[in-house]
Amino acid sequence: MSKIDISSIHRGKKTNNFENETITLKVEDLNLFYGEKQALNHINMQIPQRRVTAYIGPSGCGKSTLLRCFNRMNDLVDSARIEGKILLDNNNIYDDDINVADLRRRVGMVFQKPNPFPKSIYENVAYGLRLQGINSRRILDEVVEKSLKGAALWNEVKDRLNDNALGLSGGQQQRLVIARAIAIEPEVLLLDEPASALDPISTLKIEELINDLKSDYTIIIVTHNMQQAARVSDYTAFMYLGELIEFGDTSTLFTNPSKKQTEDYITGRYG
Amino acid sequence: MNTNSQKAKRRRKWRMLKDQIAKYSMTLGGISIIIAITLIFFYLLYVVLPLFLPASMNHIVQFSNPDSSIYIASEEKNELGVSFTNDADVVFFSLKDGKVISKYKIAIPDDTSITSFAVADPATDIVAFGLNDGRAVVVKHDYKITYPNDVRVITPHIKYPFGKEAIVVDEKQRALTHLDIQLKGAKNTLAAITADNNLVLATFTKKESFLGESGDFERTYNSVLALPSIYVSYLLLDKEQKIIYLADQNGQITHIDISTKTPKILQRLRVVDVNTKITALEFLTGDISLLVGDSKGHITQWFPVRDKNNNHILTKIREFNDQSAPIISIATEERRKGFVAADNNGQVGIYHSTAHRTVMLEKVTDAGIKNISISPRANRLLVADNNNQFHVWNLDNKHPEISWSALWGKVWYESYESPDYVWQSSSANNDFEPKFSLVPLAFGTLKAAFYAMLIAIPIAVFGAIYTAYFMAPKMRSIVKPSIEIMAALPTVILGFLAGLWLAPIMEKNLPGFFMLLLLLPIIVLVFAFIMHHLPKSIKHKISTGWQSALLIPIILLVIWSAFSLSYPVEVWLFDGNMPNWLTNTLGVDFDQRNALIVGIAMGLAVIPNIFSMAEDAVFSVPKHLTIGSLALGATPWQTMIRVIILTASPGIFSAIMIGMGRAVGETMIVLMATGNTPIMDFNIFEGLRTLSANIAVEMPEAEVASTHYRILFLSGLVLFVFTFFFNTIAEVVRHRLRRKYSSL
Repeated sequence: MSKIDISSIHRGKKTNNFENETITLKVEDLNLFYGEKQALNHINMQIPQRRVTAYIGPSGCGKSTLLRCFNRMNDLVDSARIEGKILLDNNNIYDDDINVADLRRRVGMVFQKPNPFPKSIYENVAYGLRLQGINSRRILDEVVEKSLKGAALWNEVKDRLNDNALGLSGGQQQRLVIARAIAIEPEVLLLDEPASALDPISTLKIEELINDLKSDYTIIIVTHNMQQAARVSDYTAFMYLGELIEFGDTSTLFTNPSKKQTEDYITGRYG
Repeated sequence: MNTNSQKAKRRRKWRMLKDQIAKYSMTLGGISIIIAITLIFFYLLYVVLPLFLPASMNHIVQFSNPDSSIYIASEEKNELGVSFTNDADVVFFSLKDGKVISKYKIAIPDDTSITSFAVADPATDIVAFGLNDGRAVVVKHDYKITYPNDVRVITPHIKYPFGKEAIVVDEKQRALTHLDIQLKGAKNTLAAITADNNLVLATFTKKESFLGESGDFERTYNSVLALPSIYVSYLLLDKEQKIIYLADQNGQITHIDISTKTPKILQRLRVVDVNTKITALEFLTGDISLLVGDSKGHITQWFPVRDKNNNHILTKIREFNDQSAPIISIATEERRKGFVAADNNGQVGIYHSTAHRTVMLEKVTDAGIKNISISPRANRLLVADNNNQFHVWNLDNKHPEISWSALWGKVWYESYESPDYVWQSSSANNDFEPKFSLVPLAFGTLKAAFYAMLIAIPIAVFGAIYTAYFMAPKMRSIVKPSIEIMAALPTVILGFLAGLWLAPIMEKNLPGFFMLLLLLPIIVLVFAFIMHHLPKSIKHKISTGWQSALLIPIILLVIWSAFSLSYPVEVWLFDGNMPNWLTNTLGVDFDQRNALIVGIAMGLAVIPNIFSMAEDAVFSVPKHLTIGSLALGATPWQTMIRVIILTASPGIFSAIMIGMGRAVGETMIVLMATGNTPIMDFNIFEGLRTLSANIAVEMPEAEVASTHYRILFLSGLVLFVFTFFFNTIAEVVRHRLRRKYSSL
């Protein structure tokens, strides 16, 4: 991989000042073990509000694992054990009295592979609301339209809301899944390689969408694609072998990394 | 490596060949299965089809009849006919060409004349002549079969069962204007109407004698009933010698009970329209039903029906209105509930009463018909017309008993209080009315399947969902194969256990069973509640998905306590015997082998099938859907209800339908555990009989090619259609659902 022309990507982008950001999530000394194997090693970081934070790093570095910690999806893995804290609005999400379902409503997630339910487009978007017991047609109609517009899908599907969601293309499905996630108005949106299964045009649309969504949501994105990280994110974290190596303003990280490992990675020495 | 070497080419060729062989053998296998099923279907159809073929008649011969017959008949082998004349002549003739074989003159006393004539039950071949001095001569036309030179020769002759001497019917020596006679074992009754309108009954009992010489009769009973002013046209005495019917010229029938010492008129009612005359009156075989032919060409069937006050009221059961000229003569079949009626236009109608069916109508002569007779095997008609001609017709009418109403409708069977659905295919005697309603059997099939599914569906489907979705993988790897291996259990063993072991236990411990049904769900829920609120420290010691294993001892404990409490509860609430209490207090009948037993046994038999398929369906719901749902803030329960079950629904549905198909066709369990009573009652405590068990029970005793035999095949076809129907619905729904969820 040749060295990325970051300046071209960041043309017109201003450098962010972390000091001025409001903090949504705080990770404090987080360790995660899969059985005996330690997957995350003493992670400490803060995620700014209404910004796009990207995680980059080679396969198996723990970036997806860390992402899943933010909405406790790792609970579903029997062997996973977590130490440390993640604070959402100063409450540890790993406290015993935290309702996991409620947490996941506040911290939404979109996966690598589009996973719409085998229901209509409408019902897919309304799913999260129905879970909360909201069944009023008026509210649902409103939210579905708003969410689909928010996910830039409305114009493509407004005439066939009752068609099965599985009839959509991959890119449309992924935007539908994003619409489904934002329908319940989460505070944080976790995107786990959201465009890696999509064609370039769909990828572009998703990236544009991420840019639009950051005015309302705190977005955390995991990506394999460094150009994508550079294009969409405000802050970037580089992880390697379960450790957070470097975290900072995206332009700075890509143009002037402070760690040798970071520079090696973004210049394509490994990964 | 050289990919174009000879060796490589040979290898590729061999590979192609293997592929071709596999392809063709699979195609062959598939096609053979389809052919086999089609052949089975066509074989069933081939056996069943004759039931629905129309009857046919064809003219054999016509010859002249020089004498004026009052009664004609033919013998069993259809070789000879006999004609009785008013002059006491008996003429035996060949049915092939009308040649007279022999002629007898019946010995009637001097200075008397014949005033009436009677025919006993046709199967007895006995007739009687009533005389003008109150006496009667009883005659039997008899056929002796010999085989000189291996050729069958039938020699007809005349016998006098009461002796050649005329017997006295009316002691006052009045002329007998109408006469009937019935013989049954030792008891023989002659009933007559005298010229001054009295009903005279004379009963002759055979003398008990070790030598058993015939002709020794003793007059044991006689009575006289003065009739009101009616003009009797027909007199019928039933085989049991308990009832007399008189038809009069006003179109009324008088129903007289002679079972007591003094004859009693029970009823008199009009049986034909006003201005219509009764022109023929016969008993259907069995002597329960009356067939009334009238001058409009209508035939009605009547029999006494018991009403609420235990009175037998002669009731019109059905009518046949297909002929238009006056019915002159009715002949009934000896072994079926069929009859033939001849009218004044020379038309003959072939009927069957139970099936309420006019099998066919045929004009056999241009003249009016005077007399008709049907051979004992119901395959030959002998008709005497007004032009002194005999007509012999061959009748091919093998299955008159079948009609849509006989199979699927309510039929008013003889001696029943109302029309009903009844299956009762055979009995010891010939004049029994077979009851071929498939409704009780279809009902029983569905009832058994219903109760089996009632037990199997919740257990199998919930079990499958739990196993696939909640259970720890290790436990699942034990549970699933164990349940699947249950499918290999022979159903005969399940049926045996259910019928001989479970049924008596249940009868003894009925309250225990019901407590179990009530307690088990409650205890399981209480256990779940306790588990949920257990302190964390204890909860953590049980790994996720293993909690259910803790239920096993608790369930065993509940079962044990329910059974040990059964007797005390029975004493306390149900007077010590719950089955009796059900019958006496609730009015619910209880059979030891009932639908509950079948439900449990057959439920057990279909649970592995449903469980296995449903579990696969739930387990194969893509993980990413579950995770997607959970990530949206759904609880595991919401995820299961809204995503897992929805996505697995095609699989669960087809699992249920396949289980249903199996329950419908299951034989051994229902055969052994139901008591096989073909009743129409949804009561869970009563037995049932299914189509399949019915075939298994009756097929060995059904005469090949008989109506009964073919109806059993028909019920097999119905079963085939049932399963076909269920499986087709299952396939259609599954396809639709699968298309909906196909791109997963």
